[in-house]
Amino acid sequence: MDTVSEKWPVTKGDFSAGNPKSCIAVVTLASSVPLFEKAAIWGSCKTENLGAEKVVMNVVSNCNIRYVLLCGGESRGHLAGQTLKALYENGIDEDGRILGSEGAIPFIENLEIETIQRFRQQVELIDRTGLTDIDEIYSIVDNYHDSEKPFEASPISFRKAVRKYKPPESISADILISEKVVMDAFSGLIYEIA
Amino acid sequence: MFRFQKDQKIANIAGVKIGGNPGELPTALAGTIFYEGHDIVEDANEGLFDRKIAEDLLNSQRASSDETGNPCLVHIFGNTEQALSNYIDFVSEITDSPFLIDSPDPLARMAAAEYVSEIGLGDRAVYNSINMTIGEKECKVLKDSDIDSSIVLGFNAMDSGFKGRMQLLESGTSSMDKGLIDISLECGMCNILIDPGITPMGNGSGVSLRITLAAKAKWGLPVGSGIHNAPSSWEWLRDKKKHDPLVFKMCDIASAVMQQAAAGNFVLYGPIENAPYIFPVAAMSDIMIYESAEEFEIEPASSHPFNRLV
Repeated sequence: MDTVSEKWPVTKGDFSAGNPKSCIAVVTLASSVPLFEKAAIWGSCKTENLGAEKVVMNVVSNCNIRYVLLCGGESRGHLAGQTLKALYENGIDEDGRILGSEGAIPFIENLEIETIQRFRQQVELIDRTGLTDIDEIYSIVDNYHDSEKPFEASPISFRKAVRKYKPPESISADILISEKVVMDAFSGLIYEIA
Repeated sequence: MFRFQKDQKIANIAGVKIGGNPGELPTALAGTIFYEGHDIVEDANEGLFDRKIAEDLLNSQRASSDETGNPCLVHIFGNTEQALSNYIDFVSEITDSPFLIDSPDPLARMAAAEYVSEIGLGDRAVYNSINMTIGEKECKVLKDSDIDSSIVLGFNAMDSGFKGRMQLLESGTSSMDKGLIDISLECGMCNILIDPGITPMGNGSGVSLRITLAAKAKWGLPVGSGIHNAPSSWEWLRDKKKHDPLVFKMCDIASAVMQQAAAGNFVLYGPIENAPYIFPVAAMSDIMIYESAEEFEIEPASSHPFNRLV
């Protein structure tokens, strides 16, 4: 059984893939720490919404990842580290709000509750928020990178949602472009009037 | 390029006018100072910084503004109450431009709102921002303050598409009983500047451009954004920056033109160091936008780059 989704990491951001077979992902929060190849994925997470989503997506799409190390400095206001910890401990409510997060706008918009549950089951969070000593971070990775079997499930794949265009039920011109060409700002339609 | 059917409101913040139909007023430009990682900051918590360089930066923005006619604002970013009050003292002493109060910590923002009221600068301050997380405490602080100008952030973290953001502004989310525009009015805001919210490239970075048009068509309020945040957080571009920093800078600055072409009235252009580049770019756009709208009987303001530079 494949343990890693095709084209992993499944979402891009300020992080790099190391060894996809490794058991540990490293989230350096607001700090920048040089990649250690023994980690599966390594990089920053500064925001409590889209940033947290990306961490979850890249973890549940790789069953080899069983540990997520939070380290580096916390991002002010956004509190991405505290938010990831809250997400891991409490999950989200039906509105997508991350329960117990103290971050500014802590919502998960693009992931199902089941995906969040899966993240919580698949990994153990190692909370070392504030740790910036590179030798110690490397040593934690060294201890965990091959310490666990893959999670027993298929990796979750993500497809970009295809938004279907629905023609508006009614249109009304509210932007003038020329004598005979107008635009309906809400639908984004530009049309000619007879 | 276009003219809105709805009358367009014009905000007047300490003499700086923002809003109107495309071609009417020059785009207002706000450069950020003391931002996260700004090398002039010596202690971000205490608000200690190199005063000489900070003064030069403020003066450079002002000189660019005087040259092109695009009004300038100072976007003050601070981590703590202490830092923000130090920065506000300094900026208000050096320049008479309006300034934005911005902090990732809502308590620091609220304290700054109280502080500017105490020292009589409420009319020059723009609160950044009233957003979907506003609660009773923040509303009360704003009501009790002298601040009457605010950015209203349309970013809806529960539904970041076009409809979700428009809904947040108009009627709120499932956990709110009214929209952010009504909340802003209740907080005593006379000058409401809508910022649709910029998300990263690949996460709906262009939605804000459609919202700019729709919000102006619906409410007639001034709209703008910190659109440069989209290219500046773009991983591909950041890689290019390692080999050629100019490529990064060009994209960062050029993004402002997108906001202007979509009828935006103001741009939070990011690092204030970019003032010498952004003002000519914005002036160029303003001139072309005015010339595209001439037939709509749009009258450019006397300070408009069209009246100054061509």
